[in-house]
Amino acid sequence: MIEVSNFTKRYGDFVAVDDLSFSIGKGEIFGFIGPNGAGKSTTIRFLATLLRPTSGEGRVAGHSVTEDPMSVRRLIGFMPDDFGVYDGMKVWEFLDFFAVAYEIPRKARRKIIGEVLELLDLTHKKEDYVNGLSKGMKQRLCLAKTLIHDPPVLILDEPASGLDPRARLEMKALLIELKKMGKTILISSHILSELADFCTSIGIIERGRLLAAGSIADIQRQIRSHRVLKVRVLGEETERAVAILQDDPSISRLESFDHTLTAEFTGEDQDMARLLGQLLGSGVSVQSFGEEPLSLEEVFMMITKGIVN
Amino acid sequence: MLLIDNPVLARELLVNLRSHRAFILQLLYVSSLGALVYFYWPVGEEGMRQVSPGVSRRLFDIFFLGQFFLVALLAPTFAAGSITGEKERKTYELLLASPLRPGTILLGKLASSLSYLIVLILSSLPLIILCYLLGGLLLSEIARAYLVLVLSAGTFGLLSIACSSVFQRTSSALVVSYLVILPLAVVCVVLTRSDDALARDFVSIAVIPPWCLAIWTVLGSLINRRLLHPPDVGSEGKDVVDEQEEMKYAIGVVIDRDLFPDKLFAPAKRTDLMPDGTNPVLDKELRSEIFSQGTLMLRVVIQVSMLLSIPLMAMLLFVRSDKAPYYVGYVLTFNMLVGPVFSSGSITQERERKTLSLLLTTLLVPRKIVTAKLLAALRVSTVLTFLLTEQILLAYFLTPELQRRFWTLIVFFLIIATTCLATSTIGLLCSSLARRTSSAMVMTYLTLLAVFVLPMGLEWYVQGLGTMSPEQLSALTVTSPYSAALSVPMHIARPDGLAHRELRVAESVLVPITASFGLPVWAIFLLIYPPICLILFGVTCLIFRWRWWSAAASV
Repeated sequence: MIEVSNFTKRYGDFVAVDDLSFSIGKGEIFGFIGPNGAGKSTTIRFLATLLRPTSGEGRVAGHSVTEDPMSVRRLIGFMPDDFGVYDGMKVWEFLDFFAVAYEIPRKARRKIIGEVLELLDLTHKKEDYVNGLSKGMKQRLCLAKTLIHDPPVLILDEPASGLDPRARLEMKALLIELKKMGKTILISSHILSELADFCTSIGIIERGRLLAAGSIADIQRQIRSHRVLKVRVLGEETERAVAILQDDPSISRLESFDHTLTAEFTGEDQDMARLLGQLLGSGVSVQSFGEEPLSLEEVFMMITKGIVN
Repeated sequence: MLLIDNPVLARELLVNLRSHRAFILQLLYVSSLGALVYFYWPVGEEGMRQVSPGVSRRLFDIFFLGQFFLVALLAPTFAAGSITGEKERKTYELLLASPLRPGTILLGKLASSLSYLIVLILSSLPLIILCYLLGGLLLSEIARAYLVLVLSAGTFGLLSIACSSVFQRTSSALVVSYLVILPLAVVCVVLTRSDDALARDFVSIAVIPPWCLAIWTVLGSLINRRLLHPPDVGSEGKDVVDEQEEMKYAIGVVIDRDLFPDKLFAPAKRTDLMPDGTNPVLDKELRSEIFSQGTLMLRVVIQVSMLLSIPLMAMLLFVRSDKAPYYVGYVLTFNMLVGPVFSSGSITQERERKTLSLLLTTLLVPRKIVTAKLLAALRVSTVLTFLLTEQILLAYFLTPELQRRFWTLIVFFLIIATTCLATSTIGLLCSSLARRTSSAMVMTYLTLLAVFVLPMGLEWYVQGLGTMSPEQLSALTVTSPYSAALSVPMHIARPDGLAHRELRVAESVLVPITASFGLPVWAIFLLIYPPICLILFGVTCLIFRWRWWSAAASV
């Protein structure tokens, strides 16, 4: 659905984005992460038809963002990271303005505006002036504007920035709802834990270069030679469990603390199942057994420290 | 110490005076003054420059009149954005929350706004001394002229800062400053240009300074109080201007969207969805954004212009109906001041408010956006300008001399309408070129001055050289609506002020188009501006498309 190939953007001598390529399939949620100034917004603005590239190509559903911007604009809903609202307009007028700008006929407009307001829980604010809304409400309103023409692709630049924890959770629930509706979403965020829950794939960018892209599990595998196994056992059976694990060839290092064993595991999924069977077979009361996933924060920190490269 | 160690002053001076622009502007200013003196210097028979007191007197007049209007025009551009700029940059609250006293802030802003202007004024001193050497001038006269200049710079600067402290946007502060300052400047010039030297000295030394001091005291305490107890500058929910509430406390004129003629420039807000085929940008501009910062600016503009029009109407339309073109000149000046407010911010404000990226990612094409912006600006500025033409209409119906030459009314109205079109188009072009509204406004005013006023000044200057025929002189001024209005032949009034029974009409000067065919300035003006405006509009569309719409630099 979205394809970026060899996108480069230079401002004089400064290279904001350097030879960036990635693609996002239909229905995917792609989390774009990277430190401030990494080139996320530049890439997003390029895809939103707002930035001319120095070189490279971008396509949305087969339409070039530089050659055929009108078709791309029809297909995307864009929410910038820093946006303003028009003064002296009410919430419904604001949405009506964008609905007309997206050529939605009057007949359909009333229903669509009502639906979008309801989806974003803004119905009670319909008659309020947009410049009087709180930051969280404005973010919701902008998302409502983004959805007004029912675009199959959403490009959201930091949609949760500046929101309080409650509003952030609400935004997250909303994005999960949109995912269910089958939208393809490109989202950038600093709050990595938010992305980890619902992104099907991520791209990590630093200093204009894409360091890693793919599903979170794939990236984890790329950056770690081993997996981490965590076993919690009951009572005095810790020593027996330690003995079993130490003897297993797929375990390379083992730590034990307060009935919890943490081991570096180099085997395959079958080896993990066999190990669990062995523990249970020898009468160890296993309270929990499983792979300890690497958090997105850890992945991000490791990659942006240059571990992958 | 209010001036030494004043951080506001230090910051502003650092930013303003170290720029290349400041240096280049001063260089241009001194070079043009130098050129003025050089070309005016009389040449004797053997190529020797002749010394003549008459020349020095004329140069002195050009210098000081020019500099006086320069002060009146430049003081607001430096000072009107001094506080609104802080509000627009969102640094106003930081400044107010600092331990700086209001007086320190005010003096810092005033000194920094005027320092460059004072440097410009003083840089003309060597050239004036040159004129003094020609003879015919008294040293006291030069000192008196500089005193008036410095006092007026201070007064105009303070007036602009006062407007800046009242309004939220630089554009509003700028236009209201001009509207107050320009009539004051004209009064000041009329008072100081008496033929009687004693009367001139009396006005300059005994009348103007105490009045200036009184104005400074009142304005100083007003700004001080506003800085000490600032009104809520707006945070969440406080930015909304409630029109109904505002109207309750409005003094004088009240704007009602449902009544004529107010509904011509401010149509009522929609209560239902827009019909299909509506240009959403035009609808938004006229119904929502026009009063987004409140109606104060428009109310002040309407009231001041109406008040000024009353004595002018009496003098120029009824007592001396042959002077009607001068009243038209007043209407044109009003449009020149007010027109750019609505057009020069139309594109830059989308950027400043960060709504441009939202607008650009919709399906609206540049032509549609730019057309909507032009139509909205043109509608508001034309309606406001034509509010001042009721008086002309009245004079034409009540004065027999004017009635008999009714066609001139149509010409005047056409000149005014064309000027409205020109100011809006030029403002919009500048808005597509500039990055900030304040720069776009100054750019528009400078362009309008260059196209509308400069030709008149040039004509006056060249006339003094005596090298050109009246036809050639008129040809210099075809771009000026003032010249177009003045070229409309009016009847000649008798010395007692009453029009002659047998109506005699002044002869028109025809600008030669071909060897045997000529047209008056007003006809050329009316012929050239519509196509020029069309071209400028096309250029604006292209610039908007290239610069913003088709994915350019960061929005």
